[in-house]
Amino acid sequence: MRILFVIDKRMNAGSIQAVASYVSAADRTGHTVAVYGSPDSSLSEVRFSMDAHQFDFVVFILESQLSWLSGLRVARILKAVPHERRVVLDADGLYNDVVSVEDYDRNHSGIAERNRWREACERLGSRIFQPTLTPLDPRIKPLLFYGYTPEEETRAKDPRGKVIDVVHVSHNWWRWKELEEHFFPVLDRMRERIGEICFLGLWWDGCPPWAAELGLEEAFQVDRARLKSLRITVRPPVPFTQVISAMSSGKVNIMTQRPLFQRLGIITSKYFEIMCADTIPLVLIGPQLAESVYGPAGRDLTLNGQVEQRLLAALESPEQFQGAVQRVRQHLRAHHSYQTRVQQLVTALET
Amino acid sequence: MNILFVSKLSQFARSVFPITKYVEIGKQLGHQVSLYGEQTNEPPTLPYSLDTKMFDAAIFIVYESWDFPDMPYLAQLLDGIPRERRFIIDCCGRYNDTLRVEHDFNHLEKMDGHQGWEWVEGFEAVSNTILQPTQKPLRNGVRSFLWHAFDPASVVKPYATEQEAVQSWSSSDRDTKPYAMTYVGHNWQRWTQIRKLLEGVQPLSADFGPIVFAGSDWEKRPDWAAQLGIQGVDVDPELFALARVQLRPPIPFQEMIGFLSQGRFCPVIQRPLFNELGFVTNRMFATFCGDTIPLLMLPRNLVASIYGPSAEPLRVDEDVKGHISQILRNPAPYWKAVLDTRKYLAEHHSFQRRFQQLLGIVEGKA
Repeated sequence: MRILFVIDKRMNAGSIQAVASYVSAADRTGHTVAVYGSPDSSLSEVRFSMDAHQFDFVVFILESQLSWLSGLRVARILKAVPHERRVVLDADGLYNDVVSVEDYDRNHSGIAERNRWREACERLGSRIFQPTLTPLDPRIKPLLFYGYTPEEETRAKDPRGKVIDVVHVSHNWWRWKELEEHFFPVLDRMRERIGEICFLGLWWDGCPPWAAELGLEEAFQVDRARLKSLRITVRPPVPFTQVISAMSSGKVNIMTQRPLFQRLGIITSKYFEIMCADTIPLVLIGPQLAESVYGPAGRDLTLNGQVEQRLLAALESPEQFQGAVQRVRQHLRAHHSYQTRVQQLVTALET
Repeated sequence: MNILFVSKLSQFARSVFPITKYVEIGKQLGHQVSLYGEQTNEPPTLPYSLDTKMFDAAIFIVYESWDFPDMPYLAQLLDGIPRERRFIIDCCGRYNDTLRVEHDFNHLEKMDGHQGWEWVEGFEAVSNTILQPTQKPLRNGVRSFLWHAFDPASVVKPYATEQEAVQSWSSSDRDTKPYAMTYVGHNWQRWTQIRKLLEGVQPLSADFGPIVFAGSDWEKRPDWAAQLGIQGVDVDPELFALARVQLRPPIPFQEMIGFLSQGRFCPVIQRPLFNELGFVTNRMFATFCGDTIPLLMLPRNLVASIYGPSAEPLRVDEDVKGHISQILRNPAPYWKAVLDTRKYLAEHHSFQRRFQQLLGIVEGKA
């Protein structure tokens, strides 16, 4: 099958890493995946094509906004590819009804915005997929789009050689409340027992100037004084090709997920990248969700309700976690590789 | 006929003035003209609609890729109005092979993310009728439609004779006409001509008076231009100081003609690309509405073909200083040229006439 992805090419966020993995996994499984556009020297591993009509299906990968979808491109694709051969991956769960989690994180500011998004999805594609095992809306089909790349598993080095104790690779996008509730109080109590803590990503140094205009200041909430008092180092984001190596610079990595995604059960690329890194991966998600993705051993890597114990144990006795990490990797290789994902995508498109 | 215009409106740039005029004149002539989109309270107050079924034709007025509506509105439009009833007015010559004229260009991926082929194929996906505001389109299949036009009702001081004009112009005090020259426009691909203008003006005596520019990015070469390596968006603060140029922020289109009228002279300068393509712009017509003497820094053939034979004295050759000095010494022939050109424009390039031409194209009669 020939599949064309239409995607916002963001180098340090979004789905570009997944798309690059689809291209190579499809080549190994007898399919062809390309990204709409002309070749990009900064993405040499990605195949590009402008000939939408030569593909069996076009997959629009929509994240949190539509403005990147140039009218010039959309018009051309809509003309070249019939509606039944176009589908949408609604990566951030915006096709759902308005969902607000604890009056904080939300998918839409109101019904009108939700309606616009829905209509955009329905006009772009005949089917809507979401990267969740448990879609809330019966019109949404589950498709775990993001996957695991065994070839990127990083061999363990002696953690004593690492200068950073805890790494958190994430943009500050609906993260603050969760950190303030679950992570920072623990640090308050035990900061002296932890070495350097480093957050890599955008907006940890302040809310972007355009957020207010969009009514999104809350999404970028940050207290720089709080970060400073906890001696958390903030560094810029890394491109998708360096995520795993950046994670591997820390003895321990924590993975947080915005509350909305937890509610919707949305599985992101971070779920899998953190398991490739040479680190002890600790994920701030519920044990049930962890098990559904990572297998039974995933429960041993969750932080929920036991941040202090798990974090200290991972730093002081990392060997305790090695078995769980290996079992999770084994599970991911068997069930969530990009070769599996390509097959799942092909099956979903054929259905 | 019900006509739907599709474009992103800005009070400070592009086609906001012609669009307001087409809406007004369409109504006068018994047609309905609206803009595609949700009704907005932003000025200018214009009718908006999303009800594609109500309209006989959609006219896309395209400068940038974002002149196409966002989703889902674009798809609504494409689904609601058939291709043969969709028209594109290509205001920047995008529907051509890639062109470079001096530093100017019609396609540049690093500016807007689109290569030349995307512009061409994107346009073709939307419509099979591409119109360009030039009398001589380069590309086969492109039709000429000037779009921009002259509005006699907007003339600030419709003098009956050149003597009357000269008397008013020469006796204007500093309160009504505080500037020697006004210019409204953003710093985009006009620097070569602006430099030539200012270098010509600068040796004139201090009595000539100050010059004012209203527009964006004249304070310094913008950071984005430096980052992207875009030429033709330069400034020279030293030259600005010598020529006594004052800078003002962009002004909304409703104030443009009044602002131009605060100066005795007003240059008409176009991007090199537009000169090459013979494109016309709103500035070429609106400047003749101001109480000012236009300095036409345009190719001779463009001046003749758009403004008619009377405008030739207003065209500035190489000698900017000599041209202005001559007008200051003996303004009457130049004001005669202005008044005769206004008549010519009213006769040949009025919005009423343009509207009829547009109807002819839409109805397949032209």
